Amino acid sequence: MAETKTDAMISTQPGYDRMASWPYFIWVVLLCMFFITILIWTVSMFFNAPLEEAAEWAKTPNPAKAPWYFIGLQELLVYFDPWIAGVIIPNQILIGLILIPYVDTAPEVQGCYNYSRRKFQFVFFSFGIFLWFFLIITGQLLRGPSWEIYWPIIDYPLGGHEWTYPNQILKASQAKLHNLSLPVGITISVIGFIVGMTLPAIMFKKYFKELGIIKYSLVMTHVLLTLGVVGKILLRLVFGIKYVIVTPWFNI
Amino acid sequence: MSTNLNNNNEVSFVPPFLKKIFEYIKSTPVWKSIFRVGYPDTMPKRMAVMRSSFYMHIFPTKVGVHGMKIKYGWCMGGITFFLFLLLTITGILLMFYYVPEEHRAYNDMKDLRYVVPFGVILRNMHRWGAHGMVFTVILHMIRVFYTGSYKPPRQFNWTVGVLLLLITLMLSFTGYLLPWDQLGFWAVTVGTNMASATPLLGYEGPFSKYLGIQIDNDIRFALIGGTRIGPNALVRAYVWHCVGLPLIATALMIFHFWRIRKDGFSGPM
Repeated sequence: MAETKTDAMISTQPGYDRMASWPYFIWVVLLCMFFITILIWTVSMFFNAPLEEAAEWAKTPNPAKAPWYFIGLQELLVYFDPWIAGVIIPNQILIGLILIPYVDTAPEVQGCYNYSRRKFQFVFFSFGIFLWFFLIITGQLLRGPSWEIYWPIIDYPLGGHEWTYPNQILKASQAKLHNLSLPVGITISVIGFIVGMTLPAIMFKKYFKELGIIKYSLVMTHVLLTLGVVGKILLRLVFGIKYVIVTPWFNI
Repeated sequence: MSTNLNNNNEVSFVPPFLKKIFEYIKSTPVWKSIFRVGYPDTMPKRMAVMRSSFYMHIFPTKVGVHGMKIKYGWCMGGITFFLFLLLTITGILLMFYYVPEEHRAYNDMKDLRYVVPFGVILRNMHRWGAHGMVFTVILHMIRVFYTGSYKPPRQFNWTVGVLLLLITLMLSFTGYLLPWDQLGFWAVTVGTNMASATPLLGYEGPFSKYLGIQIDNDIRFALIGGTRIGPNALVRAYVWHCVGLPLIATALMIFHFWRIRKDGFSGPM
């Protein structure tokens, strides 16, 4: 376990130069406050906050979209049932984020942007952020009525805000979906999990020994869950598979 | 850093009589009772001005030079906190004009745009500031990850930060319903419908039927106070948005900043 350093210990480190907060730091804070206030004020002068017609239960808009920061989860509804896309995945993201400092404890690399000594951490975290924003951009900008893909130039030729030409029929889902049978689905999932857990341990023995079995299991579980989400998206898009595992109680 | 604090080549544009008046004001007991340190032109005074002021004391007397650089820290944590303050101020002002009642809420939004002086600017600042805060808090988390600033001794402060990210999203989400227009109404309908799919606790979720969970006693019902978004959901969103979540956020922020204050800015060890 890494030794916990307190304030006094940090300030006595040879590389940790300190300077008086007054006046430079206070100036940075003050200028930052002015800059942000002016920026928000200026944006508010030119762009009005959206306000649509009064809420009406009987008029469901198509599509009804969540706020942009949750639209990634709504986009996942295409590929997963709501209990996975809306509950399990966001909770697992939060648990994964909270676990980060407790599984990545190597103390030497901190306080600088260092890619070469943290390759795995950089790649995994960046991939997660990329996936999150990729789903947000897809859901926010490319999804039209019935949550079908509407391309920016092809489907709005006049650059207007209407989804389609006035007389054009809305897109209908073309996908023919089918499910894997239960034994096949379970076999694929179990083999994927076992191979995913053991292969990296054999290939990167040094890291496996450094991490220990508990931290390694936690890290690899989250890596496999992330890859599982991507894999399920690809299965749906490429092979038209709706569910990998079908049971009377839940479907995955 | 700055060793020569006494600059003798000072060029003054202040007329001498004004200078005399300023010096007189500064020598009065009233002035001295408010500003007890004097102008901080020496290192001990620079330390004292931070230490002896309640508001300045949120900052340390000395900061790590490394963590000061904009290209290192991006200022995103500070900007997030400042946006929180900006949203608190504009939010309180908006509360003067807004009543969370089904038949009034939307009309109040129209009044804010067309009747209340500067109402449109007020609402715009609150809206864009809120989107900005969600964005800056995400950028702050990305920066902290890439610099490895969650390493010991800051592990638990990262955890608190993740909770603050969640609270920020919930603050923004509860605020989304308040205008009571089609945009917010259906966005919140989509969002809260997900809660009904919670395993065990939502009426559409796996295994919940074995616990006797129905549409009128599941977790979604508890969140919105009904089986669909209605007047109860509006009041709940309002109270969480204006009272509950800001209090939780403030409590977590006090902890977050206290830890940063004690541990210093992250820097190379």
